[in-house]
Order: sequence, then structure tokens, then C-alpha cells
Amino acid sequence: MANSRDTEDRFFRWLADSESGDSPAASAPTRLKSNIYSTLISRQEESGPLRNLCETTADRGLCVFERLVEISPLAEKTGSFNICRLCHARVLGERVENAPIYWGNCPYAGFQNH
Amino acid sequence: MGSVKSQADNRSRERTPGEQDLVFAAAILDKDRKATAEFVGRYSDSIYSYVRHRLIPRSDLVDDLVQDVFLAAWDNLDKFRGASSLQGWLLGIARHKVESYYRASLREPDPIESDRDSDSVPVDDPRLEEALDRERMEARTRRVLESLPETYSLALLWRYWEKRTARDIARDIGKTEKAVERTLARARDEFRRRWNHGE
Repeated sequence: MANSRDTEDRFFRWLADSESGDSPAASAPTRLKSNIYSTLISRQEESGPLRNLCETTADRGLCVFERLVEISPLAEKTGSFNICRLCHARVLGERVENAPIYWGNCPYAGFQNH
Repeated sequence: MGSVKSQADNRSRERTPGEQDLVFAAAILDKDRKATAEFVGRYSDSIYSYVRHRLIPRSDLVDDLVQDVFLAAWDNLDKFRGASSLQGWLLGIARHKVESYYRASLREPDPIESDRDSDSVPVDDPRLEEALDRERMEARTRRVLESLPETYSLALLWRYWEKRTARDIARDIGKTEKAVERTLARARDEFRRRWNHGE
């Protein structure tokens, strides 16, 4: 009986090994990505203001609303505000899979699976 | 190695992948929302894929567990030292979460346990299995794992996919090694039965 157990052990190890690596990665649902992002930003806000939009990593780009905040005369004061909280794109992103969001550089648009 | 921030500061020379990850982690710790969005976009698919495969058949728990992984990552990101890639570090957190779930689930009394003899019979014909197309075989493996009682699929995943010994599992769930071996034997039997009957 020990032999049959060894054979089965080998068979299951082989099954597990043959799967790891090349198996196609499943894409996370876009709603999940949106919710994770919103939750992370909320957590970040709990311990103080977000990094000012003027100081965010430049090559990642700002969406049209963030750009408006950035160029406003009050940018120094308002630049840390999470404007996504007021944006319909966030609501759509959190609730609708592959939500029809077309704003350039919107994080929620960026989570869409194509 | 120093802290994330100190290592990320003032890097003018070309950065190695490890240093790039440290700089990236530092931007997230600085609450740069664009870096945070990139963090989610870059790693959520691989974490999701890993967790989904490891939680068969409990697909209803996958989303919550993936979210937990990212929250734990945020809570501990200041401890990231760049010894592994950020992806590897995140997968480590995911593995830890998955094993916690296995532990909690397998600690519960098993309603399937019975006194029946757990003697095994050999797999029908390994050569035949080897001849199967790999993709079809993976899909079939998934199907069979999904159809098994949760206790069985988790035990098999923990033992063979996570490569933990029966002794390790027994220690983690507070059962004897023999009890774990018994559960594994039944899980293998049931897997084989369903595999051979085309479930």
C-alpha cells in the first residue's frame, strides 16, 4: 500500500507542478481593483493628508479634474484633497465591471480589463 | 539594508529592479495617489489569480482576501526592504493569508470524516494522464478540485500546491499527523474517483 501512496503522491505533485508557471493568470475584476484603490486611499487619508497633486509622480499624469485642482490658485491648500471622492467615475468604477469611464489618467479608467 | 525612504533618496545612477521597487514603495508610503493606483493596477491581477487558484472552491471569498492582502501590504510597506521583488513580497503576504484560511478551515471538525478504511488504490494509468493536453488537464484539475468538499480541496492544495508536509499542516491546525494523512488519503481517493468519472 505504501507504493500506491507514493504513486499518488507523485501524481499530485506532478499535477501541482505542471500547473504552476504557465497557467493563464486570471484578471482581477475591475470593481475589485477600484474598491481596493479607494480603500487604500481612505486608509492613507486616515494618517494625514495625501501627497499634494503638484508633487505626485509627474509621469503618471493627472486626470482633467485633478488638473483643474492643480492649476487653481488654491492648489497648495486643496491639492491634497481626494477629488475622486466627489467623482462619478469612482462610483461607476466601484460598482460596474469595466465601467464606461473615458477620462484620461483617471485611476478608475486605468483599472479596466481590455 | 536601510529603510524604504532612506534607500530611495537621491538615487542618480541607473536603478536595479530592486531599487526601482524601493523607490516605488517609497512613493506609495508618501501617499502619492498615482503611485498607489499603479500599485493596484500592476499587482492585483497576479495576486487575484494566485488567491483564486488557492481557494478553490470558495470563490466567494477571493475578493475579500485579495483586498486584505493589499491592506496588509499598506500596513507593512515600511518594512519592505527590497530583498525580494515587490511582487514576491506581496505574494508572500497572499500566501500567508491563504494559509491562515486553510488553517482556520481545517481546524474545524470535519463532517466528512468517518471510520472507513483509507486504503488507497493506485492511479489508473499515469501514462494516460501524461498524454493529456496540458491545458485541458489543468481545466480538469480545477473542475475536480472545485467539485470536492472544501476540506478535501484545501488539504490537497495546502499539501501539494503549497508544498507543505503533513507534519507542518498538522502542527498548524493542532491535529495529529496521522489525522492529516487520513484526510489527505480520503481527499486523494475522492479526487481520483471524480477524476476517473470525468467530473
